Amino acid sequence: MSAYVVSVLTEGAIFGIMALGLNVIWGWSGDFDLAYYGYVAIGAYMTLVLTIGAPTPPAQYILGLQLPYPLAVVGAIATSMAVGLVVGLIALRHLRGIYFSIVTLGAVYVMYVMAGQYVPLVDGYNGLSGLFDPMGDWFGLDYQSYQYFFLGLSLVCFVLVFLFTARISGSRFGMALRTLREDERAAAAFGRDIYRLKLKGYVLGAGLAGFAGALFAAYLSAFNPSAWSPVEVIVLYSAVLVGGRGNIWGVALGVLIMGMLVQESTRFLPMLPGLGQLNTLHPQVLLALRGVVIGLVLVLFLRFRPQGLLPERRYVDREPVAPASMPAT
Amino acid sequence: MSVAEPAFALEVRGLSKHFGGVYAVEDCSFQAPLGQVTGLIGPNGAGKSTAIDLISGFKLPDAGTVIFKGRRLEGLPPHRISRLGLVRTFQAPREWPALTVLENVVMANWDAGRESFFQGVFGLGRAQREAATQELAKARRIISELGLDAVRNERAGSLSGGQKRLVEFARIRMAQPELVILDEPMGGVNPVMGERMAVAIEGFIASGTSVIVVEHNLPFIERVTQHVIVMAQGTVIAEGPFESLRSSQAVVDAYLGEVVGDASS
Amino acid sequence: MHEALLTLGFGIVTAAILALSAVAFTLEYGVTNVANVSHGEILTVSAYVAYLVHSRTGSAVAAAIGAAVAGGLVALAMYMSVIGPFIRFGASPTVVFIATLGISFMIQNFLVIGFGAENVAYTIDPGAPQHLGPFLLTPLDEQIVISAAAITLGLYVIVSRTKFGKALRAVSQNRELARVTGINATQVAAATFVLAGMIAGYAGFILAESVGTFNPYFGFSFFLITLTASVAGGLGKPFGTVAGAVMVGLILEFAGNYITASYNLAFAFAILAIVILVRPRGLFTNARRTVFE
Repeated sequence: MSAYVVSVLTEGAIFGIMALGLNVIWGWSGDFDLAYYGYVAIGAYMTLVLTIGAPTPPAQYILGLQLPYPLAVVGAIATSMAVGLVVGLIALRHLRGIYFSIVTLGAVYVMYVMAGQYVPLVDGYNGLSGLFDPMGDWFGLDYQSYQYFFLGLSLVCFVLVFLFTARISGSRFGMALRTLREDERAAAAFGRDIYRLKLKGYVLGAGLAGFAGALFAAYLSAFNPSAWSPVEVIVLYSAVLVGGRGNIWGVALGVLIMGMLVQESTRFLPMLPGLGQLNTLHPQVLLALRGVVIGLVLVLFLRFRPQGLLPERRYVDREPVAPASMPAT
Repeated sequence: MSVAEPAFALEVRGLSKHFGGVYAVEDCSFQAPLGQVTGLIGPNGAGKSTAIDLISGFKLPDAGTVIFKGRRLEGLPPHRISRLGLVRTFQAPREWPALTVLENVVMANWDAGRESFFQGVFGLGRAQREAATQELAKARRIISELGLDAVRNERAGSLSGGQKRLVEFARIRMAQPELVILDEPMGGVNPVMGERMAVAIEGFIASGTSVIVVEHNLPFIERVTQHVIVMAQGTVIAEGPFESLRSSQAVVDAYLGEVVGDASS
Repeated sequence: MHEALLTLGFGIVTAAILALSAVAFTLEYGVTNVANVSHGEILTVSAYVAYLVHSRTGSAVAAAIGAAVAGGLVALAMYMSVIGPFIRFGASPTVVFIATLGISFMIQNFLVIGFGAENVAYTIDPGAPQHLGPFLLTPLDEQIVISAAAITLGLYVIVSRTKFGKALRAVSQNRELARVTGINATQVAAATFVLAGMIAGYAGFILAESVGTFNPYFGFSFFLITLTASVAGGLGKPFGTVAGAVMVGLILEFAGNYITASYNLAFAFAILAIVILVRPRGLFTNARRTVFE
């Protein structure tokens, strides 16, 4: 397996975890949360400040501990959940629909600006780096083997998160979240505390985002505002939409498809008639073209297949029906 | 000698609510008897729906009190009121569209223990699984009794208006509240369904649920209720068995010439 | 005190540009109930067009007209190709909102393809700052404020005095009801988008020339502040929006004395969050909410 394939698969697994977390908030609770990627970023940044040790001037950042990676991951998840709780407490109290989305957009923008501009936090635009091969020294791995190790680790984490969300999906808690999405008033009329329930879902999603962020930080060995670009965000949301909101298999499929689209489009787009020359004009053009394709996919799916490729499945009860009842019309 | 049992299913005193200077409900007071079907009628704009919203916690009253099972409800959020045993429906059927009919009915039951995140992750204990099985069986039974077997596994959103109403009734049977408030259940429903609803409402009473029905369909009110409250312009103008209201001048006036008991809608 | 007045003066310029952008956005929202996230791109595209026209003709007036025309066309295209079809198809406002996010992303990328991602310098000599009462403004600033006021006034006349304005208000309040009374809601919406686009296009032009540089993303950044002003004023109410814009413009300008410019946007959003939490229907409307009201 070439290094390229290993890298792509690893990134795919990490994005898969992100997408599954977004699915909890967007797919099950039904809230289009634009702050989500912020929790990923927080997870990544937190992992770094907990593992790369004290800052060497002129770099500045908070904490700067040198904890073992697994501990840092726990810290990252906890921090993402804490921030998610704060945002959720504010945004989920009274807001729904567009107003909710706009406030979460504001929240993520504030996070982005604080991370990118307020230098003492996480060294501003430079960001943080230096997380090389965490846990590699535990097993005495060289560079090559480490890539496989980390791929395996990421895949295992993805499978664990998948199983975890599968469990939630089939549980009464998961069903309760869905009743919020389907009809909040009815849910309240039947005893659900909407605010608390949505908060739980929201914090859960934020926690998964933080987990993904922690892995992402190790994958990139760094994190800074340029790793936090619109493309990544749009691809993530598109993956959930295209694959199937509310269906974890759909989400996984969506990540696969969008991942392939992102990777392969830069290869085959220049092959289309007339576009071959563009690559030589500006280096960003190919990426911008890819951006157009991604945006187009998003809009087309919203219009023609908003439920995604694998829509949420319904539960079919196989218990035999007792005879002799009036049919309803 | 225990504390006196509540004599009424619901007691409302001096309930008021205004929107931008206009009183939708003003000094509204009534009592709904226990174990009976009470109708709430009145011309459009009388404030019936607002009163229901105020009672069930979906709107906050400006003044007044609501007493249910010896407790004051005003100011409580809807889910708290529901957990105390007061369930309501809405003018348009509010099923959970993507969920199946069976899921809709099962989820009418709120179970704090089984619905927690903790249980979601770690699964249910044996006692809880037993309760879940019972619950599922009960749901199937209720669905059968209401004639919804054929659509048990269909998404509730794909049903006809009448079927959706029946799903709502199934949910009520499942939740077994002490009081259910039905907000215009006959809206958009054909007359044949009306008889089935009347039967279902009698079923509620038989299982210990008191009923308040808000309706414009007066023959239906005549058919199912033992006691009727008439509202107009935000307040109660008459109360009593349906028959007695036919001859009430106040009621006739309120309907602006429309004779009580005539029109079907 | 002198400082404060100066800041007030600058704030009015910012507010003027913001008011135009926000009013346009509010018009779009009013007739469709859709928060058009790609609104910022109307400004960006218009800025590019203005720049091109200006470089060819050397005339700022031609550039302004070019920007307005481009803005109207872009907005119309947005309505006809995306927003209108989605509404007719019955999509929820959130779905269309996401779609406009996608369009926004696409347009930004198209601009990168066409012009590259680098900043484009667009300088027009602003003239020497003069004292106008307690304020210190350049002739350019004055032109901006005066033209913004004129456009707002013109818009007021259109909305309140013309038949089109009446139809616009009808559709904004209740689309179905408007249809029943014989108004072609789609045509009215399309025309409103053209009008809004022209205003936004002009806003893009003056924003670009007052800031001095722009790039494919500049409209989107400004959109975030625009959103704040629109929500603050009351989504869907054009004249509350103007008040909201003035307020936000002034707050930003005053805050700018204490916090560095890069935090501007974050600060704007903090304002937005507070406004939405306290009065989600806007500061200048009657609001009352529990989550169900």
